[in-house]
Amino acid sequence: MRSPIRRSAQAAVAVAALSLAAACGGGFDDTAEQQESGSASLTMLIASSGDAETQAVQAQVDAYEQESGNTVEVQVAADLSQELAQGFAGGNPPDVFYLDASRLADQADAGNLFPYVDQVDDVDDFYPNLVDAFTYQDTQYCLPKDFSTLALEINDAAWSAAGLTEADYPTTWDQLASVAQRLTTGEQTGLVIGDTRDRVGALMVQAGGWFLNGDGTEATVDTPENLEALQYLQTNLAAGSFAYPSAVDAGWGGEAFGTGKAAMTIEGNWLVGAMEADYPDVGYTVVPLPEGPDGPGTLSFTNCLAVAADSDAQDAAVDLATYLTGADAMTALTQDTGVLPSRQSLADAYLEQFPERQAYVDGAEYAQGPVNAPGAEQVLLDFDSQLGGLATGDPEAVLQSTQTNLEPLVGG
Amino acid sequence: MTATLETTPVQTPAPAPARRRRFPVGRFLAYVVLVAFAVVYLYPFLIQIVTSFKTNSDATNSPLSLLPDPVTTAAFGRLFDTDFALWGFNSVWVSVLVTLGRVFLCSLAGYALARLRFRGRSALFTAVLAVMAVPSVVLLIPKFLVLNQLGIYDTPVALFLPLVADAAGVFIMKQFFESVPASIEEAARIDGAGTFRIFWSVVLPMARPALITLTILSFQASWNELPHFIVASQDRDLYTLTKGVATLTTGQLGSGNQFPLTLGAALLMTLPVAIVFFVFQRYFVAGANEGAVKG
Amino acid sequence: MTAAPAPAGGLRTRPLRGAGAAGASRAGQGRAGWAFATPQAVLIGLFVLIPILMAFWVSLTDWRGRGSPFSGTVGFVGFDNYAAILTEPGLARQDFMTSLRNNAWYVLLVVPLQTAIALGLALVLNSRIRAKGFFRTAFYFPTVTSSVAISLVFIFLFTGGGAVNALLGVFGIDGPNWFSDSRGLLHLAGDGLGLWDSANPPAALTDGGPLGLTWWDWLSGPSIALAALILLVVWTSAGGYMLMFLAALQDVPADVREAAVMDGANRWQRFRAVTLPALRPALFLVTTLGLIGTWQVFDQVYLISQGNPAKTTLTPAYLSYTSAFETGQWGRAAAMSFVLFAIIVVLTTLQRFLMRDKDAAAEKKAARAVARRRTSTTFFHADR
Repeated sequence: MRSPIRRSAQAAVAVAALSLAAACGGGFDDTAEQQESGSASLTMLIASSGDAETQAVQAQVDAYEQESGNTVEVQVAADLSQELAQGFAGGNPPDVFYLDASRLADQADAGNLFPYVDQVDDVDDFYPNLVDAFTYQDTQYCLPKDFSTLALEINDAAWSAAGLTEADYPTTWDQLASVAQRLTTGEQTGLVIGDTRDRVGALMVQAGGWFLNGDGTEATVDTPENLEALQYLQTNLAAGSFAYPSAVDAGWGGEAFGTGKAAMTIEGNWLVGAMEADYPDVGYTVVPLPEGPDGPGTLSFTNCLAVAADSDAQDAAVDLATYLTGADAMTALTQDTGVLPSRQSLADAYLEQFPERQAYVDGAEYAQGPVNAPGAEQVLLDFDSQLGGLATGDPEAVLQSTQTNLEPLVGG
Repeated sequence: MTATLETTPVQTPAPAPARRRRFPVGRFLAYVVLVAFAVVYLYPFLIQIVTSFKTNSDATNSPLSLLPDPVTTAAFGRLFDTDFALWGFNSVWVSVLVTLGRVFLCSLAGYALARLRFRGRSALFTAVLAVMAVPSVVLLIPKFLVLNQLGIYDTPVALFLPLVADAAGVFIMKQFFESVPASIEEAARIDGAGTFRIFWSVVLPMARPALITLTILSFQASWNELPHFIVASQDRDLYTLTKGVATLTTGQLGSGNQFPLTLGAALLMTLPVAIVFFVFQRYFVAGANEGAVKG
Repeated sequence: MTAAPAPAGGLRTRPLRGAGAAGASRAGQGRAGWAFATPQAVLIGLFVLIPILMAFWVSLTDWRGRGSPFSGTVGFVGFDNYAAILTEPGLARQDFMTSLRNNAWYVLLVVPLQTAIALGLALVLNSRIRAKGFFRTAFYFPTVTSSVAISLVFIFLFTGGGAVNALLGVFGIDGPNWFSDSRGLLHLAGDGLGLWDSANPPAALTDGGPLGLTWWDWLSGPSIALAALILLVVWTSAGGYMLMFLAALQDVPADVREAAVMDGANRWQRFRAVTLPALRPALFLVTTLGLIGTWQVFDQVYLISQGNPAKTTLTPAYLSYTSAFETGQWGRAAAMSFVLFAIIVVLTTLQRFLMRDKDAAAEKKAARAVARRRTSTTFFHADR
């Protein structure tokens, strides 16, 4: 009697062999043959805040198609990073795609990007620290297509109801704390601030600290400056004059602000579009963030148009990217989408049209970009999750653990 | 599994216990428990239906109320502004193909394992059993890798083909075919029928209850599947109901409190399964016990 | 596998016909057998077997998700990925251990709860109750609906100002902001009982602990957010298990039950002697399925919380998914899924051992001993 183990093994091998035979059709094409430009077919993967933005992008893309003779298929991602990952794994990534500055290091490190900025003539027209946000290990990878910064939004009705005037707009931390306290009533919190480093980080910058040092070679999380920022936040959270959105049953600061649960919030210029769409009746004013112990500080959020290294139409892709970041396209794309143009030359015209966004545009000068180290995402997520419990937690421990986790990823 | 009791000689039965004449407390308590649980089980569905006819603010402000004020179908209107119809269409054809595939292929394989003698049969069965033991979480990422290698990632084929693989279904059909008396097949064989003929015309019709069970289980599994659709494709035109509705809460559209929209979507996507469920109830119940408590 | 019994009358006495015999011959059966079994075999091999092998290979590499994992440029790192999540101190291990902790509490609560509720409901439904069909349908229906639909409903029910809190408000309880509340239930219980103060946990518990998490972290219990997920899953799945118990209960032959009544056994004795043994296989199955299912919880985390708040709803399955698709750590993600696989196998084996039928096992052992003795003796007898 044959041993059952042998027979199992035989069957397993048979099944595996059959399957492999079926699977052998696939295979991989590692060399990407370039398409001829002038008749190239491109795919572009974007993330959109809604129909308005998608249509704006599509309009510009159509204009590009007319001009260049290439065809472009615009795909809107539900989950940009996941779909990018799947695209790269499949060896079939989109030719052009939105890339958040916080993801630059990861993608560049994995070799997914084709740096094309050296082919661009008017790089100087872009804000320098935005271009820096897309520079990794001295290579400039892509052009920023727009940017956003954080500012302080104040609900006018709540402001006057508390007997405050324009002169009382806070310009220092102390003023912010006292104003928030005055504005905190039973149903309204003075200031709702998001519980992630993308908001709290502004406080850290204002105190003179940040996760990394100037050239990104050292982790500087556990510093007295950052500690001061977290302690300031903690004091006010505990006092009830600051709150996280989830504590007031809101998904983000903008929702808390629009539904009247927050008298003030710290959000970026995307808030403008959201308020218009969802809460058009709320009157508000945008002022620059108050200065911290070390001066003014805010955070910048920017996306670039990246070109995939595996793209089989690189020339056409670069062409598309530079077209969409050209002055004309950028003007059109920053019209209705609430983002700020990343070209300095467009700032004046933009502010003429949208004077209320002055605070956001001004922030570009002292804005800090995201942490640029490969694999930092997980560390920062961990930081965020610890922020959630800051009201009763230990800021020192938060900073120390983040420092420990970040150090191995930085340097060299 | 039967219990063996000591058999004592039958005595004259004890007089009927006095408690029977008193108020059946036990049964009353039983009803209380059942009704309480029934409320807990039915209320969420009630709320779901009712809320999908409310406005956003009404839903947020009076969540417990079973009376929409005002009654509106605006949520459904917004829902069909999305690709909901396309998602529904995709779900339908994927479920149909998966169900047909599973029923046909599992009954073939189950019959082979039960009745046909061929080399490696028991080894193959062992492999089927082993595969059934693999938790699906292990397969989430590697299935994506295989789809990549096969070059079918992000194609319609990727949506349904991997779901047709079903070791449990093979097991169920095999169990059933083993319970079919072999004499019927022998009679057919004596009459000169070939193997496939015996399978198709003689045995399969007898397998109706098992086939219906398998159909229902396959339909339900493919209609409600989510993780597979997450990794199998990313093209928006290939979204099924589960993945599409998931984006209502996780993706771009998931901002703000749009409860009537999400609950309306949940309601509509549950309807087909609910209809199938109510019509074929006893087969569901039977299916849940398949391979469970066999003596 | 039961062999087809020889038909009465004997096939051998009839002359074999030509074509029919060919189709029914051994060779024909063999060919047909493979022809029938191959499609599913290929599909299962392709989409279950091969993926497992591929995943194992990836877990031994540092593949970052670009290109083929089998190409020459992919680095073989041996068990580094496993070390990163199991033994090396660092964020990777901390996250994985956090996910294991969360899932462990989840399993600890879900399996007993859903089994108890399923059993209780089955027992009640098995008694003399009317409208059984209605109740059975009501309890079973959630099992049939998709996790997406149910998650959406529960998100609605459990918001800070939602239905559940409104209901609690009727009783004067101020419900928490369920899916945003990361406080651990055990921590809160300890607060309530005066054992400790969550804001200043005792140093004995916060100083050091196994595998990268402090004892305080391990003993947090499920967070309130996780508790909401637990309620969701128990609500969804109890009905399905209830059906299995019902089937087992209804399998008890009526005459056995009647005999017990006739013998004067009271309800409790009847329960112990008749009902419980009948339930044993179902109990075993329900527990096994429960264990296997709960360790893989993914859908609800993906839809509702994405691991938040504060990583207290992070589960290994979800962490594996995000590690691969969002951070590009494919090797580590594959390693996580295999560790999870191992955990499930170990636990279900342990459970099988603990719940084995000791009487039946003893019987089997005895029977085997007898059989061994018999074969060894027949070996010596030549008259066979």
